Amino acid sequence: MARAIKEDISLKERGPQVCVLKTDGINCDEETVNAFSVAGGRTKTVHINELRANEDNLNNYQILALPGGFSYGDDIASGKILALELNSYLADQIDDFVNGKKGLVLGVCNGFQVLVRSGLLPFGTMGEMKATLTNNDSGHFECRWIDLRIEDDNACVFLEGMNGVMSYQVAHGEGKFFAEGQVLDQIEREKLVVLRYSDPLGNPTQQYPENPNGSLNAIAGITDFSGRILGLMPHPERFIRLTQHPNWRRMPNLEPQGLPIFERMVNYASQM
Amino acid sequence: MAIHEIRVGYIGQDTKGQEVASEAQRTIGLSGLEKVRTAKVYRLEGATDEDALRLAQTLLAEPIDQIFTIDQPLITDTLQIVEVAYQLGVMNPEADSIMKSAKDLGINLTAADSSTEYGFYGTVDQEEVAQVVNRLLVNKIVEQVVYEKPQTLIIKGEPGIVEIIPIRSASADEMAALSKDKLFLSDQEMKVIQSHCITLGRDPYDGELETIAARWSEHCGHKTFRAKVIVDGVEKPPLFTRISETAKKYFGNEVVSAFDDNSGVMKFYDGQAICGKVETHNSPSAIEPYGGAMTGSGGVFRDILGTGQGAKIVISTDMFCFAPPDLDPSKLPEGTLHPDYLQRRVVAGVRDYGNRMGIPTNNGSVHYHEDFRAKPTVIVGSYGIIPENRAQKGQPEIGDLVVIIGGRTGRDGIHGATFSSGEMTERTINVNSSAVQIGNAIEEKRMADAIIEARDKDLIRAITDCGAAGFSSAVGEMGENTGVVVDIEKAPLKYPGLSPWEIWLSESQERMVASIDPSKINEFLNVCKKYNAEATVIGHFDDSNKLTVKYGDQMVVDLDYDFLKNGLPQRTMNAHWEKSESDEAFIEMPIDWIDTFKKVLSHGNVASKEPIVRQYDHGVQGTNVLPPFGGEKFDGPNDAVVITPILGKPYGMIVAHGINPILNRIDPYWGSVWATAEAMANYVAVGGDPDEAVLVNNYIWPFPDEDAMGSLDLSVDAVVDCMNALERPVISGKDSLSSTYRGKDGQVIKIPPVLCMSVFGRIPDIEKTVTSDIKKENSSLYLVGALDRGMAGSTYYDVNGLVGDEVPKIDLKVLPAVLRGVHEAIKSGEVLACHDVSEGGIISAISEMAFGGDCGVELSLSAQMQRPDLFLFNETAGTFVVEVENDEIANNLFGTLPYIRLGKTTQAKTINVKVGEDDLFTVPTDELKQAWQEPLRRIFH
Repeated sequence: MARAIKEDISLKERGPQVCVLKTDGINCDEETVNAFSVAGGRTKTVHINELRANEDNLNNYQILALPGGFSYGDDIASGKILALELNSYLADQIDDFVNGKKGLVLGVCNGFQVLVRSGLLPFGTMGEMKATLTNNDSGHFECRWIDLRIEDDNACVFLEGMNGVMSYQVAHGEGKFFAEGQVLDQIEREKLVVLRYSDPLGNPTQQYPENPNGSLNAIAGITDFSGRILGLMPHPERFIRLTQHPNWRRMPNLEPQGLPIFERMVNYASQM
Repeated sequence: MAIHEIRVGYIGQDTKGQEVASEAQRTIGLSGLEKVRTAKVYRLEGATDEDALRLAQTLLAEPIDQIFTIDQPLITDTLQIVEVAYQLGVMNPEADSIMKSAKDLGINLTAADSSTEYGFYGTVDQEEVAQVVNRLLVNKIVEQVVYEKPQTLIIKGEPGIVEIIPIRSASADEMAALSKDKLFLSDQEMKVIQSHCITLGRDPYDGELETIAARWSEHCGHKTFRAKVIVDGVEKPPLFTRISETAKKYFGNEVVSAFDDNSGVMKFYDGQAICGKVETHNSPSAIEPYGGAMTGSGGVFRDILGTGQGAKIVISTDMFCFAPPDLDPSKLPEGTLHPDYLQRRVVAGVRDYGNRMGIPTNNGSVHYHEDFRAKPTVIVGSYGIIPENRAQKGQPEIGDLVVIIGGRTGRDGIHGATFSSGEMTERTINVNSSAVQIGNAIEEKRMADAIIEARDKDLIRAITDCGAAGFSSAVGEMGENTGVVVDIEKAPLKYPGLSPWEIWLSESQERMVASIDPSKINEFLNVCKKYNAEATVIGHFDDSNKLTVKYGDQMVVDLDYDFLKNGLPQRTMNAHWEKSESDEAFIEMPIDWIDTFKKVLSHGNVASKEPIVRQYDHGVQGTNVLPPFGGEKFDGPNDAVVITPILGKPYGMIVAHGINPILNRIDPYWGSVWATAEAMANYVAVGGDPDEAVLVNNYIWPFPDEDAMGSLDLSVDAVVDCMNALERPVISGKDSLSSTYRGKDGQVIKIPPVLCMSVFGRIPDIEKTVTSDIKKENSSLYLVGALDRGMAGSTYYDVNGLVGDEVPKIDLKVLPAVLRGVHEAIKSGEVLACHDVSEGGIISAISEMAFGGDCGVELSLSAQMQRPDLFLFNETAGTFVVEVENDEIANNLFGTLPYIRLGKTTQAKTINVKVGEDDLFTVPTDELKQAWQEPLRRIFH
C-alpha cells in the first residue's frame, strides 16, 4: 500500500475521547468509529438513549461525531427528528460541549443534515434553522465519487493548511445546500464554506453530476463562527484506506484523502 | 378531538412534482401537462390548535424553503387536485415518527398520518389526470385516493373468534373450495388432513388448518424438490437429495453449515465466518412492486440476521427479470402491471430498504424478455459475517423463553406462504391483496442493532426470522425438536380486531423470534430497549413434542409435531421435457456493422445498469474495495463485488452471480451450465479463487407440470454436473415454482425458467484483485477459455429477431482449468484488467473495458476467419478478455490453456476491428458508450 497506517500507541493512550452518536437508522457509525480509531482517537459508540438516561454525558468527550444514515427513516425531512430530539433533550449538554468545553463536532451526510436542522450550523442558533439541505435537483438518491475543493481560506480551525482537490463519495438524496441570499452572503463573508463540489481542477461547479445535488455556490461542507463544527455531505470516513477508492488500481500515487480530516480533528483535540 | 390537517409545500423547486410530470409525459405522453405541484398532508388527531401550529412550525414544515397551511387548502391555483394515501390498515411508517417527535416536543397525539396531494396544471382533462393517478401514483393494493377527510385515524375492532372447520364431514367439493383461495393444497393432502381429524375425533380449529397448510405449502415444504421424480418412466432421486448429496462431497473443512440454517455459512479469516442467502419475491412484487421488493429485501436480510446466533449483514444483491420497458401496453395480460412501472418501483423498493438499513447493494443484474410480462422475477440476495463460534444454528433448550422482537403484528401479509405457492391468475391482484405488505427498514435496523449486541453478549440461544406464515413457521419450526407453548394474546398488535389465527399467521414485516435462557432474559430485554426495539416474551419451550398456541384461555392450535413434520405425503412427479423443434437460425453477415453493434450494446440485457446502481448506496459500511463501476470516469462495469468485511484487514469477500433465462428456456441443461459458468467467471474475473468458493442456487420455474418438471430435472442435473466438475458445493438455495400465468380466457403464459446461481468466497489479500477497465496504452488483449459455436439465445440473434437452436455448450472438462489459470494469473499481479464474456459477446466485453479505460482498442482477427460476427458476438460463458503487457507474459500465464491474442489497446478512443489486413469497422468509443448508456438513463433519469 502506498501509505502504511501506523498505529501510534502513544497517541492511542492519550488520544482524545470521541463520541460517535447513534440512534434508530444511523448506519455509518462503524466506519466512523474506525476512521477516528485509525486517526488515533479513543472512540465509543453512544446511543442517544444513553445520553437521555444520563448513563453517559458529552462532557466525557472532546469530539462529537454525528454519522450518516437515515435517522428515524428521514421521515418528514432528513435529520429533522433527531435534530428536534437533540434540541428538546440535549440542548444544555450540547451547549456546554460546544461553547463551554470547546469540543469539536463533525457531522457527515445525515449528521450534517441534523446539524443544519438543529440550527448549530451555520450560525450556532440552536432551535432556529438558518439554512437547509433539501432534495437533490435530480429528485433521487445518488451514490458516486465526486471531486471536492477545500477552500484555501476557511474558518474551520482544525483543517488549517489542508488544501487542494479531493475525491470523496457522496450518497444522499437530500443534499442540496440552500439558504436565503443574505444568509448565503454572510456564510461566504465569514469564510464558513469549507468544501465545494468542483471539477477535477478545483473550479467550483453547478454542473451535474460533478455537483451532485445542485447546492448553491457548490457548497458541500461548512463550519460555524467558532470553526470547531464541521458539517459535510460527502463521506470522508469511506476513504481511510487507499483501497476504498474505485480506482486505486489505476492511480498508484493516490492517498486516502478522507483520513486527514480525522487525523486533524484528533490532533487538534489532543492539543486542546 | 377533531383532526387537524397541515399541508406543507415547497416555495421553489418541487422535485417530486417534477418527477411526476416528467414520468407522465414520458410514459403516458401527456404533452399538455405543464407541471405538477405536490403538498404533503399531515393529519394529527388529539392536537389542540396551539399544538397543531407548533408542530407545523417546528416539525412538519421547513422554515427556509417550505410553506404550510392549517385546515386550509395549500394548492389553490388549480382545481385538479388529487390526494393519495395508504389504505386504512396499511401501516404508514412515517406515522410512528410523527408521534415520536411530537412526544419529544411534549405533545401527546392520539394518532397521526401523512399523505400526498398532487395539483395538475396545463391543459389536462379529468380523464388524463385519472390516468396519471391510476398508472403512476396509486397502487390500489395499498393506496387509495382520498375523497373526504377521515373522521378518525384510530382503527377499532373486536378480536375475532376461533372457528371450528367441519372438515370431517366435508364433501369433495367443499374440500376443493376450502383449498382453492385459502389453503392451496392438493386433493390428496386435503384428504390426509381429513383422515387425521377423523382419527383425532375432532374437527380442527381454523388456526390449525392454516398452520398445516402453511407448513405443507410449496413455499415452506418444498414438496416438488422433495418429491419422487419419474423421468420418462424412470425413477430418479428427489431433486433436493441430488443437490445436497453431491454438495456434501465438496464441503471440505471450510463449510460451517449448509441447508439447515437460514443461510449457508463458510469459514472466513480471524475466527469469522461468512454466510449467504438468496430469495425471490416474485408474487408480491408482481402486484405491488415497491412493497414487494422492499419486503423481499427485508426478508432476506432477516435470513442473515437469523443465521447462527445472529450474523451482521454486509452485502445486498438484486437480480431482476422484466418484460422490456417499452412493451406495448395492449400485450399486457389482465391483472398485470406494465414493466416500465414495475421496474422503477422494484428498484425504488430495493433502494429504500437497503439504503435505510445501511446495507451496500453492490451486485446485481437486470434481464428482459417479453414473457416476463405476466410476472416479473425479483431475486434478492444478502450476505453476512459472524464469529465462527456463533455460526451454528441454535437449538432451544427446554425451559427457554420464546421472545418476539421487532415490529408489531397486523393483518398484513396473511396467506403469503400459500399465495406465493399458487399460480398467478387474473384474480390474483384482487383476491390476495392482503398478502402484500409495506416494509419499514428502520424498524428492522433497530432490531438488527439490538440482535448483534445481544449476540456479542452471548444472550441468544437460537434465533430465526418471521417470514412466510409468520409466527406459525418461526415458532413452529423452532419448537419442533422439543415442544412449545405460546400465548399470542401477548403479541403486540398494530391495531385491534385480528382473529387469533390471523395473529398466528400474519406476515407483518420486521419480526424475529428468539430462544432465550431465562437467566439472561432481563439483559436481553435491556439491550432491545436501548435500541428502541420492542421485545416480548410470549411463551416457552417444553418437552411436550406438541405445538400449543393459546389466545388467553382459548385454544388456537393443539397439534402433534409428529403429524406436522411427517404427515405430508411425499409427492410423485412425472417429468418429461422435449426440445421444441426448431431449425438453427441462419443469419447473414451484418451490412452495417456499427448499427448492429450499437443495437447489441443498447439491448436491455447488455446496456449499462449504472443509473440503477447509482441509486443504491454501495459504499456504506466503508467495506467496498471493488465496486460495481470503476475506471477513468467511474462508468466501467465490474464483474463482481469485493469487500473487506473486517475494516482494516486485507481479507476479501467476493460475491457474484450468473443467470440467463432465455438459454434455460431453449435448453434447460446447457442454459443452467451457462449460468453456473457465468457465476464462477464473474467471481474469478475480479480475483476470486475458484477453490474457495461456495454456490447458492435459486430455481424460479413455471408451475411443475410434466414439462416444467422435465426442464427442472435437467437444470438440477446440470447443477450437479457443475458441482462435480468444479469440485465446489452448493450450500444454500431456494425454489419458487409459480411462474405460470393463467388468464380467464384460457391464456397460459409460462414465464421463462430462471436458474440464478450465486457464488461467494474468500481471498486472503484484496490487493490481488483486478477491475475490468483497461489500464495501459499499447498493452495486449487476449481471449482466455474455450469458445463454443452455439449462438442460440444470444443478444446478436435477438436483435436480428432470431432465437436459434444450439445454445453455447460450455466444456466442463476445460472450465475448471481456465478458472484456476485466470485466478493464478491475477494473483501473480501481471493481469492489468480482466472482464468475463457474457451477454453481448466478446466485442461488448472489450468495449466495456475500453469505456472504463476511456481509451480504444485495435483488434486483429485472423484472415481465415469466415464469420467474424459469430466470433465477436459469441457469448460463451467461462471465457475472459484479459489485458496484459505483452505476448511473452501472456504465454507464461496462459500457455497451458486455450487462449488467443485479440489485439492491443490504444490511446485513440476508437474501437477498430481488422480481419487480416482489412478494416471491418472503426467506431469512436464514446459513440458506442452513448448507445450503451442511453436506454436506462432514459428511464432512471
